[in-house]
Amino acid sequence: MYDTEAIIRISNVNKSFGRLKALDNVSLNVYPGEKVVIIGPSGSGKSTLLRTINKLETVDSGQIIVDGFNLYDPAIDINRVRMELGMVFQSFNLFPHKTVLQNLTLAPIKLRHIKREDAERTALELLKKVGIAAKLNSYPTQLSGGQKQRVAIARALAMNPKIMLFDEPTSALDPEMIGEVLDVMISLAREGTTMVVVTHEMGFAREVGDRVIFMDEGKILEEGPPEHFFQNPEHPRLRKFLEQIL
Amino acid sequence: MPEQKVVIDVGDGAAIPTKKDHGLLSAWRIAFFGAVLVLLYLVIVHPDPYWNLMKFIRDGVVVTFEVTFASIGLALILGLFTGLGRVSHNRFINLAASTYVEVVRGIPLLVQLFYIYYALGQFVRVPDMLAAIIAMSFCYGAYMGEVVRAGIEAIDKGQREASVSLGFNEVQTMRYVILPQALRTILPPVGNEFIALLKDTSLVSILAVSDLLRRGREFASESFAYFETYTLIAVVYLIITLILSKLVGTMEERMGNHVRH
Repeated sequence: MYDTEAIIRISNVNKSFGRLKALDNVSLNVYPGEKVVIIGPSGSGKSTLLRTINKLETVDSGQIIVDGFNLYDPAIDINRVRMELGMVFQSFNLFPHKTVLQNLTLAPIKLRHIKREDAERTALELLKKVGIAAKLNSYPTQLSGGQKQRVAIARALAMNPKIMLFDEPTSALDPEMIGEVLDVMISLAREGTTMVVVTHEMGFAREVGDRVIFMDEGKILEEGPPEHFFQNPEHPRLRKFLEQIL
Repeated sequence: MPEQKVVIDVGDGAAIPTKKDHGLLSAWRIAFFGAVLVLLYLVIVHPDPYWNLMKFIRDGVVVTFEVTFASIGLALILGLFTGLGRVSHNRFINLAASTYVEVVRGIPLLVQLFYIYYALGQFVRVPDMLAAIIAMSFCYGAYMGEVVRAGIEAIDKGQREASVSLGFNEVQTMRYVILPQALRTILPPVGNEFIALLKDTSLVSILAVSDLLRRGREFASESFAYFETYTLIAVVYLIITLILSKLVGTMEERMGNHVRH
């Protein structure tokens, strides 16, 4: 299916929090342009796995290569790697002391050394794209949850990253706001962005996922294209999980 | 049942009156206008000795403010670095900052003043005023460090994660994301320390620094009017600290109206 090299290579990764095994010999490759959706019950290690990709979590053993950089090679600059990885959090984590526009322009100006006017022009385009351009001078507290998350997505995109990581982006939202955030993510997916998404939204997984991954107790128990995954789940644990949530 | 969290918040400065706390605000008004009335009464009805006393201690008020402002400025700088040191992942820096805080907090300010002025003064002779400012800043730098540390630790860890995920390093994260937010939360406690420091400057009167209290002592020892002198000194200190606590309270309210997360 993919003739190019994987842009994310996770090999035999282990991680424990005290006695809890959060990642148990996990391996995963993600290819450029691919949309990988990770599902699983709470505490299954799916968020931990996602967070190892930009080294918000360090692993105990194993290897992670992102965009050609081995994250555990002391010679690499992790900040350079992170600039190519957009991250969207469950709790938005917008900068409350900055306006919406400033949230988007801070990193491009300081890290990519883009001129303020250019950064603002790009930011405005992104805000239009996520449907929130009218709020550019608002502060995050003045936004609804759905608006905050759309700004957070735009903030990550403002760095023009090669890969977008989403950590349960709709889990903290009121039900009526989930749609507006998913719509933005779906249109991103259509543009060919490489995406790794941890989510409970099975509809989203089915619609945009090239590959769905099911995790439980720190292990990848099943993976495959969504049609197969949802219609003929093989692993009994996955069958039980799908029965419970669908 | 929701978990009950008891917070006992007692600062060492004056209580800060805000509009939310009506009782305290009334208490502030009684104390402040009471003090002003007493002062006016004494000066107008008994100009001898009170008016003479006022003229005598005027320089002292200026010195008290000089020591306060110089010390708070230095203490803030010292406190910023101490606070950053206290949250640093570098073990050496963290240990150095923590030890400084532990040592300073364990020694009474008066003893620190004596130590810097008399003990160290045997080796290095520094002007009285400078010794006083160094000692006050050294002591309050440690307290301020704890305020800064608390302010930094109060910022949600998601802020750091969002910042480093964009590619900012730890120093940039501190500068652009954490500190601007922390400064906002620490302003009220800093105001509180400022008032506490102003009161504690009365200790420097021991070191031949002609502050408010020292001028009072000089007047009293010449005139033997101890009751009158110390009554006036107490009222003047009270009026100054009450004005400052009101200013801090107003500032706190302004901040409250500003954007919060």
